[in-house]
Amino acid sequence: MTESGIADLTLSEVAEAIRLRKTSSVEATQACLDRIARFDAALRAFITVDAEGALAAAKAADTSPQPRGPLHGVPLAFKDLCHVRGLPTSCGTKTAEYFSADPECTAVARLRDAGAVVLGKLNMTELALGPFGDNAHHGDVQNPWKPGHAAGGSSSGSAAAVAARLAFGALGSDTGGSIRLPAACCGIVGFKPTYGRVSRAGAMALSWSVDHLGPMTRTVRDCALMLSVIAGHDPRDATSSRRRIGDLLTAVDRPLAGIRVGVPENYYFDGVTAEIDTAVRVAAGTLESAGARVHTLRIPDPATMADVCNIIARCESAVIHARVARERPHELQPAVRSRLEVGFHVPAFDYLQASRLRARLTREFIAEVFGEIDVLLTPTIPEPAPTLDAAKAGTVDEVVTRMGRFSRLTRPFNGLGLPALSLPCGWSTAGVPLAVQVIGRPFDEAGVLAVAAAVERESTQHTRRPPLR
Amino acid sequence: MSEPARQVMVAVAALAGTIERAGADLSLAEEPSNFTSALEQGAPDD
Repeated sequence: MTESGIADLTLSEVAEAIRLRKTSSVEATQACLDRIARFDAALRAFITVDAEGALAAAKAADTSPQPRGPLHGVPLAFKDLCHVRGLPTSCGTKTAEYFSADPECTAVARLRDAGAVVLGKLNMTELALGPFGDNAHHGDVQNPWKPGHAAGGSSSGSAAAVAARLAFGALGSDTGGSIRLPAACCGIVGFKPTYGRVSRAGAMALSWSVDHLGPMTRTVRDCALMLSVIAGHDPRDATSSRRRIGDLLTAVDRPLAGIRVGVPENYYFDGVTAEIDTAVRVAAGTLESAGARVHTLRIPDPATMADVCNIIARCESAVIHARVARERPHELQPAVRSRLEVGFHVPAFDYLQASRLRARLTREFIAEVFGEIDVLLTPTIPEPAPTLDAAKAGTVDEVVTRMGRFSRLTRPFNGLGLPALSLPCGWSTAGVPLAVQVIGRPFDEAGVLAVAAAVERESTQHTRRPPLR
Repeated sequence: MSEPARQVMVAVAALAGTIERAGADLSLAEEPSNFTSALEQGAPDD
């Protein structure tokens, strides 16, 4: 099979091809490494490429008498805040080994145990604090569909690498939208699972109470496959749930008859561009044609939850990253420094009130919204990926305000802890992807995947290849 | 006060406004850990 032939396979397809020995892990890994060598100098998706380690693991996979698991021999890459044995973890900072953990990140270890090959570590916004994917230390990640446009952040390299077919799948982290925003900007699938569903052990924390890890892939089925491997209780993460996961792969083919889909009347379409508004409503129509019952509803004000989430995240990130913020502030990008600084000035009273409010708002949201519907459908981003110049323009205050606006449709679901998935739903006139967000009940990842797969089935967007040069 | 410091204080004040407005009538029984209970109780039956 040719390099481009292999690269065009989805994660599920390449796993099957390796299992049936139609291709080898070495061929699949070499195809990714060749594309990284050709395209990554411009894309800036990777911080560390472990070509030697990846090829050694691929050779071992090819000579193994038995498949190790469902990802046997499949090359993946990880956001550079997941500690991977033997590789540095910069977290997007100037410091090559900013973070380490022993043992390595649980999600990475589970993927490796399932047979995955580690290609390397992916670029990200410094300390995961920003939604555009610009990085002064490791280069601004470029949108594979349109050079000069933002890849989204903070899991910018994860999204760009998957969209550009440099890896078959990636891990991202999401504290205010950092999986879903870059997935939306780069036209891939990104899934922030329920809080507690996937262990964060061995990944740099930005905010213990709001951080989530999740998969980023080209298709919904691939997302289900990766999530089924990484989900589940982990004694190393005290917040991880013991709740049953269910069969996520079967959910992808589940019929939608009778499923109740809600489209919010308030907040979610305010200030959203007309082409995104239209694309999301078309996706709702697709679900209706597939047998779902779609109706509009008013939801509890997400703006309050976004502020509550911000208070919690700012305070916790200031505590976690106090050392770099206090001892080496000059090393941090100005907007990152400014966002960290807020947390040093929020009174303990407000932090604790925010934590109590979060509990009440979550209980109320679940009771009110999921009494009427099974999933919620909203835009992921209020506008298509901006140019990097536009994202970075102006004063620090203006940049920080722009960051808040861009993540205002994703952040409330970090506070609520609900499973939320972004998938592509069309193209902007400028030629960058549009995206829709599917949100489900707590721990109903299967329901979210079923609805997302129904949207994807009516589209060929995931089969298109970005025009890389 | 420098401009960056002023901007930080404006951000802090805005967030404090939300807490004052939305948190005024929080029940004495409300505690942060109720968040994870809300998720577990809101999940569909296994």
